[in-house]
Amino acid sequence: MRRLQAYCESVCVTAQAAPARQRLKSLKRLTFVDVVLWGLRALVIVVVVGGTIGTLIKGTYTTAQWVDFFMFGLTIGGVYALIALGYTMVYGILRLINFAHGDITMAGAFSAYFLASSLDRAGTLDAFPLLAMLAIMVLAMGVCAVIALIVERICYRPFRHVKTLAPLICAIGASFFLQHAFRGMYGSTIRSYPDPEWMKGTVDLLGFEIPLVQPIVIATALGSMLFLYLIVQKTRMGTAMRAVSEDRDAAALMGIDVNKVIIFTFILGGCMAGIGGVLYCFVYKQIYYFMGFFPGIKAFCAAVLGGIGNIPGAMVGGFFLGVVESVGPALFLDGIGITAPYQLRDLIAFTMLVMILIFRPQGILGERLAARRA
Amino acid sequence: MKSTLTMKALVVAAGFAAGAMSGLSAETVGPVTDPLGVVKIPKGAPIHIGGYWTLSGPDVNLGLDQKRGAEIAMDDAGNMVAGHPIKFYAEDSQCNAEGGQTAATKLASNQNIVVVVGPDCSSAGTPGGPILWKAGIPSVATSTTAPSLTAADRPEGLHGYMRTIYNDLAAGASDAEYFWNQMECRSLATIHDGSPYAEQLVRVAENRFKELGGSVTAAEAVAPTDVDMRPVLTRIATTGPCVVYFPIFVAAAAQIVRQFPEIKGLENTTPIGGSALMAPGFLEAAGDAAVDFVFTNPDTSPDAMGNRYPELVEKYKEKYGEAPIQAFHQNAYDGMAVALMGIEKVAVKDDDGNTYIGRQTLRDALFATSGFEGMGGPINCNEHGDCAGFKFAAYKFTNSDPETFEIGTNPVKIHP
Repeated sequence: MRRLQAYCESVCVTAQAAPARQRLKSLKRLTFVDVVLWGLRALVIVVVVGGTIGTLIKGTYTTAQWVDFFMFGLTIGGVYALIALGYTMVYGILRLINFAHGDITMAGAFSAYFLASSLDRAGTLDAFPLLAMLAIMVLAMGVCAVIALIVERICYRPFRHVKTLAPLICAIGASFFLQHAFRGMYGSTIRSYPDPEWMKGTVDLLGFEIPLVQPIVIATALGSMLFLYLIVQKTRMGTAMRAVSEDRDAAALMGIDVNKVIIFTFILGGCMAGIGGVLYCFVYKQIYYFMGFFPGIKAFCAAVLGGIGNIPGAMVGGFFLGVVESVGPALFLDGIGITAPYQLRDLIAFTMLVMILIFRPQGILGERLAARRA
Repeated sequence: MKSTLTMKALVVAAGFAAGAMSGLSAETVGPVTDPLGVVKIPKGAPIHIGGYWTLSGPDVNLGLDQKRGAEIAMDDAGNMVAGHPIKFYAEDSQCNAEGGQTAATKLASNQNIVVVVGPDCSSAGTPGGPILWKAGIPSVATSTTAPSLTAADRPEGLHGYMRTIYNDLAAGASDAEYFWNQMECRSLATIHDGSPYAEQLVRVAENRFKELGGSVTAAEAVAPTDVDMRPVLTRIATTGPCVVYFPIFVAAAAQIVRQFPEIKGLENTTPIGGSALMAPGFLEAAGDAAVDFVFTNPDTSPDAMGNRYPELVEKYKEKYGEAPIQAFHQNAYDGMAVALMGIEKVAVKDDDGNTYIGRQTLRDALFATSGFEGMGGPINCNEHGDCAGFKFAAYKFTNSDPETFEIGTNPVKIHP
């Protein structure tokens, strides 16, 4: 009986000590990198929370100005999101990062500029704004789709079954080729997109006066994304795209024409890039050969942020990145007394990207990929 | 025996050391000895001169205008110097550090080049100058105005760097005085783009403005590739300045000018740019928003220039079929003229007609230039390489059509 009691006591003590030992073991397994990462997370949280509280207490900005910041962010975020869709769709289908996609957007902006300038000279841009906008959009989408197809045919198709980095290098090469081809054809000076009178107006939105161009851009971006989403979710070709995205070989065995699906994906991505290029022109008005590079990089980050390969993720990532870029410096940095916070705009945006990927490596809406797919 | 061996070893070591030292000491070629080396130009062969300016991108007019100024100076010399034809190499600095580094490296790799004229951007000159000087090639910059380039405590690599353009220590102070005295402004906000030129210029202007009793309400920065200026302008609007001063380059400045009227709270604030915007490319980039836009610039009116400036403008029009496209062609002309005079001064001929130029001697001759009546005004160099003075002016664009660009009418001088 006494032995049984002693045994019981020892088991109970052991059971109580087990979690503590496990914690000790896991603490011992902590590496220097883990400590740095946790420190980084804590620092970012302190800056974000502390900065936000400090800024709000200081009360530097009015509600109208916060609304302005938010709208600026949504506007550029809409452009990022449209470009990001091209990255994410191609990645979803081919597991390829199409680095030329930002430059395809530039090509759309150039074609939009040439048509808009002619329409402006003829007075059509002011007389028939909707018709003119539609024509510009259609042209830009067409040009981008054709260039996307050419890039796919020449640069990506030969490497479709290659497992090396060759397709990525080829994508970067295509990006530089497009930039310098446009530089050679149209020069390196900045061109100015026409600024019709009707686009200079403002609208009242919930009591806040905002430039008309902003709701136009945001609504067009959202409408295009919804249209794309419906295509992918509700059409046969969309179903085929999703099937190829899941497993290309299995989709081919089931009778899906993978080649056709890939071509369709590049056309869709090109169309979104064309719309993105036109919307960029509406807001920022400057066209030159290098204009696609940085929005392209940001859009790629937006696609990763949202969960690369995931269409709603690209949309969310684009808007999120745009809003953080616009609101972040004022909200997080003003409160902790950092001067010239907008020079740290990219730092904030990319820190957010890194933080989200540390906490959620698959992105905001991404799913964990099976090892075979990833 | 052992001590004899030791002595021998010491002698050999001393011999090696002397040999090694001789590599670092003066070089003698023909009749010329120079601590940095001597360039020999055989009889009838060309003398090689380099140049690097912004020859592509949104600020192409800045560099192209200066390249043209330098070419006219060579024309005026009959494309000859010291009895040799001139062979000129122009590289693209792209108005940034990477471009400056690449262009300077390419020029430095040609050891026949005796002097380089340019660059036009401080961001290109900051890495470019030391690369050239390491190869023994002095630089005569033509529109790099950042104070650090000719500061007394500048790095060793910039000791071969001089300029025939003013120093922003003068320009920034004049700009601040204009805001204070002429515009009666008491609160200033600034934006720079991270380039040495813009950052140092706004710092000088801010300091002078504070000395005058004004307050600097915001000191912001953007990237040259930024397109969305609305957030930074909204932030500035909360501080209520009467002037927003942004001496930055064409692309970013044009976005600021375009987006400025959209920002609530800036209705009574005046945007003012800097001299990099004196270009038709700015009108193209900013569109209608450029009309009535004011920027500060050195005074380029004929009465503020050297006596021979009208001749330069005529030659420019005749050679290139258009009026000057930027405001620094006269400084580039002067840069090339100073370089050619320096070569003439130090070139030594031997009996066979070969010419020899000592690199250090040439650098010293260039830095000793004084009393030269340049196209942009008198050129008198100090020991740090500052050679030109500054005459302030403010200009305003009157038309957004790039075809109408002509200094004096569009933009028109509004002060003094």
